[in-house]
Amino acid sequence: MNTDMTSASETDTLASDAKRLSIRKMNKHYGEFHAVKDLDIEVEPGEFLVLLGPSGCGKSTALRMIAGLEEITSGEVIMGDRDVTHVLPKYRDIAMVFQSYALYPHKTVAENIGFPLKVTGVPEEQRNKAVFDAAAQVQMETLLERFPRELSGGQRQRVALARAIIRRPSAFLMDEPLSNLDAKLRGFMRAELKHMQHELGVTTIYVTHDQIEAMTLAHRVAIMKDGELQQLGTPAEVYTNPVNLFVAGFMGSPPMNFLEGNVSESGLQVGNDKIPLDGVEDGMAITLGFRPEDASVVEAGQGRFDAMVYTAEMTGDLTLVTVKHGSSILTIKMPKDFMVDYNQNVGIQFDSELSYLFSTGDGARLKANVVDS
Amino acid sequence: MSNVSNVPPRGLFARLFEPPRIGAMAPGAKFIVYTLLLAWSAFVLFPIYWLLITSVKSAADVNGGPVYIPFVDFIPSLHAWRELFVVDYADTLRAYVNSIIISLAATALAVLIGSMAAYALARIRYQPNLITILLFVLVMAAALFAIGSYGVDWRLVLVVGVGIFYFLSKAVASRVHVPLANGDILFWMISQRILAPIVVVVPIYMMFQSVRMLDTHLAIILTYAVVNLPIVIWLMYDFFNSIPKDLEESAQLDGATMIMTFREIVLPLSRAGLAATTLLVMILCWNEYLLALFLSTAKAQTMPILVAAMNAGERGILWWSMSVVIIVMIIPVVFMAIVLQRYISKGVLLGAVKG
Amino acid sequence: MTSTTGRVVNSQPGYLPADNSQPPSRRFRFNEWLDGHARQLFITPAVVMILIFSIFPLVASLIIAFSRVRLKAGGYQVRFVGFQNFSKQIFGSEQFHFLGTFTSLTFLGWAVALSATGAILWWMFRYITTGFSVVGFIGRLITALVILGISWMFAATFFSGNPFGTLGVTLFYVFIGCAIQFIIGLALAFLCSQPIRGRNFFRVVFFIPMMITPIGVGYLFRMMADTTKGPFSPAWQWFGLNDFAWAANPWTARLFIIIGDSWQWIPFIFIILLAAFENIPRDYVEAGQVDGASNWQIFREISWPQVMPVAVTVMLIRVIEGFKIVDLPNIMTSGGPGIATESMSLHSLFAWRSLDLGQSAAIAYLLLFVTVVICVSFFNLIVVNRMRRI
Repeated sequence: MNTDMTSASETDTLASDAKRLSIRKMNKHYGEFHAVKDLDIEVEPGEFLVLLGPSGCGKSTALRMIAGLEEITSGEVIMGDRDVTHVLPKYRDIAMVFQSYALYPHKTVAENIGFPLKVTGVPEEQRNKAVFDAAAQVQMETLLERFPRELSGGQRQRVALARAIIRRPSAFLMDEPLSNLDAKLRGFMRAELKHMQHELGVTTIYVTHDQIEAMTLAHRVAIMKDGELQQLGTPAEVYTNPVNLFVAGFMGSPPMNFLEGNVSESGLQVGNDKIPLDGVEDGMAITLGFRPEDASVVEAGQGRFDAMVYTAEMTGDLTLVTVKHGSSILTIKMPKDFMVDYNQNVGIQFDSELSYLFSTGDGARLKANVVDS
Repeated sequence: MSNVSNVPPRGLFARLFEPPRIGAMAPGAKFIVYTLLLAWSAFVLFPIYWLLITSVKSAADVNGGPVYIPFVDFIPSLHAWRELFVVDYADTLRAYVNSIIISLAATALAVLIGSMAAYALARIRYQPNLITILLFVLVMAAALFAIGSYGVDWRLVLVVGVGIFYFLSKAVASRVHVPLANGDILFWMISQRILAPIVVVVPIYMMFQSVRMLDTHLAIILTYAVVNLPIVIWLMYDFFNSIPKDLEESAQLDGATMIMTFREIVLPLSRAGLAATTLLVMILCWNEYLLALFLSTAKAQTMPILVAAMNAGERGILWWSMSVVIIVMIIPVVFMAIVLQRYISKGVLLGAVKG
Repeated sequence: MTSTTGRVVNSQPGYLPADNSQPPSRRFRFNEWLDGHARQLFITPAVVMILIFSIFPLVASLIIAFSRVRLKAGGYQVRFVGFQNFSKQIFGSEQFHFLGTFTSLTFLGWAVALSATGAILWWMFRYITTGFSVVGFIGRLITALVILGISWMFAATFFSGNPFGTLGVTLFYVFIGCAIQFIIGLALAFLCSQPIRGRNFFRVVFFIPMMITPIGVGYLFRMMADTTKGPFSPAWQWFGLNDFAWAANPWTARLFIIIGDSWQWIPFIFIILLAAFENIPRDYVEAGQVDGASNWQIFREISWPQVMPVAVTVMLIRVIEGFKIVDLPNIMTSGGPGIATESMSLHSLFAWRSLDLGQSAAIAYLLLFVTVVICVSFFNLIVVNRMRRI
């Protein structure tokens, strides 16, 4: 988006409206099912917070509770200095973008964008101007008379965004807004979304199951699993310093490689090779993890352990080598000109500083590390 | 834009009509909703209650002014039930069996033929010639006129008519082609539903009379099937259109004939649609009165005729017996509804109406 | 029907071995033949049945409508009489029965007639000046003429204090009855789509009347309406209306039939509109809530536009079925008092009973004509228009 679309003065006044959003000990029960467990998040004014997790982890439920579409079983939601825990959604001053966009099929683009102002009784003239401005911000000002069915996926997405920004709410809530777009458009809209949030400076909570979206968009990421917050931190923190096995496995593409085993004689036996460890006790069930980009394929016997090549995929900028060791499949990122034969025995080398040890049982990160031999 | 009111109103009206908490209903709204729904339930149920108690009233209880509660206001008796099921059981049973045979057969026929036609219209492209159709109607009108006005024997007219139609369609229709599309055929078939039974019943009556089929099951079955054919075609056309073509195409690639595809793939996939359609057509056949009145005299009489028969003779209306017949008529419909209900996705009728 | 089916795969059965020296079995050849003719096979039964039991009687009925039919030994004698049957209904001795009694128009009658005429002329004028196509013009002309005729008929009868005939009664049942049924059906469907307890109970209860045979409903409401022995007779006596009888006054008799008809048919409208309400994506309503809309605004701006296409089609179906009304007036009032509750179907039925087949067919055709014009106009001018917006 061109920056000259939004005047500087407009963004300034908006940014000052941004509100802090506090979620305190928020719980949701559906009968016996505990969907959200003691969720505690402080969203800073103007922050872009991403709720990340696999489907069914309670992230959408959490968002709907913040929106007021779902009743909160216990806990509170505070916007700025106002407790909105039991306030109806229409009095919360929030805007929401739905996964389906929820554009009204019988209303034109202009009527869709102007709907939040229409229901609050903004005079028509003022409304039309606001509609045009909001549409211009998402480059939809030439398609105002169209109906949603006449728009492409990306254009519908923009209309949904325009409908969200027109009211200048104190918070945006977005429920997987990009998941219905194709991969290319998704990348493009991601950039636009991030830019716009930066321009408007509105506190935003964004729900997704796509860790790349989370990494690229977020100021901070909150990773959830089974209704529980696992880790809250900047994308870099979450990526480089995962608190547990789940977070480590969820972030990154291709995901982190894991080797499971029991500690014997201060080391992890991998086939014929032994990886010496420090800070562990014998008999512990542990999982060793390292990222594909922190490892390399070397001659057999030269690495920390040996494995067999399963496939090698050339992706353009690099080669992904998949090796098999016992039942575990590991992926290594190698330079694009790397050549290897299938079913060849190779050695795997990885950086001891950039490897992680977890307790296999509860998944917790261990204060232990791999020893260079 | 700060004119967005984000403060909930606090007046009495607001307290009555704003939900007290998220996901709940406002107390005022709740009161109004339940009042209206319960009032309508009473309006629906009271006549049915009255039906039930009338069936166990004696003639004196009915004619002596209203009594409401059995065992309190009056002593219920099963005399009407006994009369219908013990004394006159032959008549009752015959009407009951007739009704069951006729509505099952007519429904089966309508659903089978209708869904075949609907499937064909949904999947095959037809291009009938408008000229041929016009010729057909003209020849038919001329034939009927000849029979009616000049008393020509209908068998002779049939033979000559077919000959003339064949000749004309070869001569004219092969040169002039005004193609119609599937939509036109569909519209033509569905539009038959506009015909009030009274428009066609007299010729149908005469037709069955001339082939000596009045008062037979077959006559009523055929008539009911045709009357309900438009409904079947309309509902099933929409349903077939909503089934993805891939499965059928895959079956065809595997070497299945169209009939096999229809029987093995399409019909099982359409269970929900078929169930809804069957139920609807069944109810309509079961309850039909006017056509049955024309087409049956004694042997083929159905239940609705039996209802009307309770209003005959010098004894006036036998309200108690009539109530029994009406109640007995509801039972199989409820039974069918329960049996078919689990196949019916509520979207079936809706889909057709939307289309 | 000579073009290919486009299904070449089946005409070359690949599952037979290529070197099969035995000729294919008779059964197989029969199946192949069937498949080759599947095109015709699927649609022919329906076409033939409709031709025999629908088109043939329709044409026969048309001939009867233009004839005088006499029973004679061993059959019928049909004599062509031109428009005599129709003119008898519209201008002749049966005019009072079909259209109503005409004397002179009162002031109100003139006012209604002239304003209706003006409105129709204005509507036609606006159509001609804004857009014009020959088919559209002819269609609208027919609609305009029929509506004009009907409004003059009502102006000369109802609005001038004269009784109207079976045409007026039928239109009264269709329009007033269907309007009432629509409003109540819509309201019940909306209420039942709210998050309330006992939804399934209400759904089942509201559906029951549809299962009862119309003739049963007729007798049932006769019991209900009995002011001396019916369940509400104490209430009538309390109001001092001992001598009151629904069926004795034309307007209460008509109202009484509409109540019975509504009792039976509201379930149909209810069940489909309920499905339509429940079919609205939840996101739409929630987006409205977040955007600050009140409940009324959500209904008005979001739910209703979503339901409207379904509602319009349901009403079309209901109007088509409504024109056929015959059982209820036949049972509940026998068309009385006088001809006050006699629908056109019933009128035709009575003519048939008196063995006047020509008149009976003529009335049936007039009914068909009015039904087709009104339903087609409704469809083209309203349904298509509404559909275009969704």
